[in-house]
Amino acid sequence: MINFDMNLLTAHLSQSISVFAPEIALLVTFIVALFMDVVFKKTRNASGYTVCVGLVVTGILLCTQCGVKDNIFVSMLAVDPFALFFKFLILISSLVVCLMSFFSDELNKDDRKMGEYYSLIAGMTFGMFLLTGATNMIMIYLAIEMMSLTSYVLAGFTKEIKRASEASLKYVIYGSISSGIMVYGMSIMFGASGTMNLVELAGLISAGKVAMMPMIVASLMIIAGFGYKISAVPFHFWTPDIYEGAPVTISAFLAVASKTAGFAGFIRFAQMILTNDPFLDWKIVLAVLAVLTMCIGNLSAIWQNNAKRLMAYSAIAHAGYVLMGMVVMDEVGISSIMIYLFMYAFMTLGAFAVIMLIANKIGSEDLDDYNGIGYKMPVLGAFMVIFLFSLAGCPPTAGFVGKLYIFTALFESGSQWAWLAVIGILNSVVSFYYYAKIMRNMYLRGDANDTVERYSFSSASIALVAIITVPVVLFGIYFGPIVEWANNSVALFFN
Amino acid sequence: MGLESIVFYLFAVIVVASALVVVLSKKIMYAAFSLLFTLFGIAGMYAMLMADFIAVAQIMIYVGGILVLIVFGVMLTTKITGVDVKTGPTGKLNYIAGGLLAVMVAGSLAWLYTSNSWISAPVNETNTSINAVGNLLLTEYLLAFEVGSVLLLIALIGAALIARRK
Repeated sequence: MINFDMNLLTAHLSQSISVFAPEIALLVTFIVALFMDVVFKKTRNASGYTVCVGLVVTGILLCTQCGVKDNIFVSMLAVDPFALFFKFLILISSLVVCLMSFFSDELNKDDRKMGEYYSLIAGMTFGMFLLTGATNMIMIYLAIEMMSLTSYVLAGFTKEIKRASEASLKYVIYGSISSGIMVYGMSIMFGASGTMNLVELAGLISAGKVAMMPMIVASLMIIAGFGYKISAVPFHFWTPDIYEGAPVTISAFLAVASKTAGFAGFIRFAQMILTNDPFLDWKIVLAVLAVLTMCIGNLSAIWQNNAKRLMAYSAIAHAGYVLMGMVVMDEVGISSIMIYLFMYAFMTLGAFAVIMLIANKIGSEDLDDYNGIGYKMPVLGAFMVIFLFSLAGCPPTAGFVGKLYIFTALFESGSQWAWLAVIGILNSVVSFYYYAKIMRNMYLRGDANDTVERYSFSSASIALVAIITVPVVLFGIYFGPIVEWANNSVALFFN
Repeated sequence: MGLESIVFYLFAVIVVASALVVVLSKKIMYAAFSLLFTLFGIAGMYAMLMADFIAVAQIMIYVGGILVLIVFGVMLTTKITGVDVKTGPTGKLNYIAGGLLAVMVAGSLAWLYTSNSWISAPVNETNTSINAVGNLLLTEYLLAFEVGSVLLLIALIGAALIARRK
């Protein structure tokens, strides 16, 4: 039954391990960071620094993988430029979230031990790396579980705060149901095809060897699992509550890295499985999901009065824009998604960083407490305005470039999806209202005289926000390299 | 009806009936104990499928480990043993919508399982599946095996973090 040639297998495994180096570096970081807290009892951030160093080392190892295209561990994982793009994006957001955490008063209160926090971030990054490359349903499931388990704990990390524990518990319940549905779908797919490997599965499906009912039911169930990770409507109910309850840094991490990884896995699954399905045109399903996600995300965001909840609905709406790119599902569509997610990462991280620094000072995320705050923190206020303009998609910011490429991809794919692009553009207009609401409260409400006492921020925290602002402005004007990188990654993904 | 079908339906009835008790019972203790029969019945199903390793693992881990933990957890949580599970008022609309959804899901799943030809693995003539499982775990599924252990480590750290007082 098992007819592996042992020598060949050993050679394959050692080859796989050499390509697996970045992930191994992350795992080592995860374990070393755990122990740093025990070794250095005096300094609080020892494990945080370890994780930062580990992430940088991982980044260097990733750089050696440019252009590598390989299938490792008996086709469990694909290492290709497509995954590499997403791995870099995830790595950057993990690093930014770690740096943000150093400045969070909410996390660093009293003498809380932060060792587990940082090491779990490394662990979650490891899970997300696996999801970007997973070509086997078992790996997809394990990667998603790894992301979920770490995020449950991280969301409830400040457990003396009641709403954080509540968020964590809600997250566990929603998360376990959705991964249960997903793994059920995978079992149906396995029962109908006899394989867990996506490459073999794609071959069987395009050869018509998988019956219609199991194919459709199983795909729907698996989409539900991915939809939960990317918080697409109607699988979005957890998002506002968890983003509101979790520490700001973790909300940012979930909104950026977790969503990016979810999209990477979803795109790979859709590209290999759904596009080969002879029974149903899944583009229509994705288009419906996109419309629902955009409209419900944007319309609910209008009524929010809490900055984190508002950002949660905004994150849902942005998932809708990205889903529009998935509807196209050719090279142009996928590269537009990659450009969009790249731009989205920086502006969202930046907005969350400012929300965190404001919360440090006023101890609240309520928009009513933001009245006149722009005059108390002129520099950060200006950065926040840039992030909000970018999130709304105004030129000349990065957000505009991202939206431009998504809409162009839709128009280029023919007139059939023009209506979807129109809905997307209308939604962007709606979104401007609630982003402007934050700016209005910051600048047009409250005392506006010059005698207002200014908040003092540490120069390091302002420098961090400034560094996040650089790509948001720069890639709004000079986006050629990113577009080229995305196009090259996708070209190799399709061949 | 052969002996195999009789045994199968016996286990099926045990699983479904005790699972219903788990969901419908208002006393947590009853729910915890009837979970025992559900998990046992599933172990029986695995044994019928010639998956002896999974069947043993199911009994050792779920029945022997997790269930005991659940029962301990229920008993050690103060004053919870006798307390009824509190649920909010359920409106008629919820019953109708929930019932409709359940019937739809059950119907489509039943249709799904009866109307299609499923791929079944060749019956394994050897006495035990442990050899095959072990070989596969360390060759084809090596990465999944290792990642699974990392996953458990993360779960362990997370559980310790949540349970710790400060």
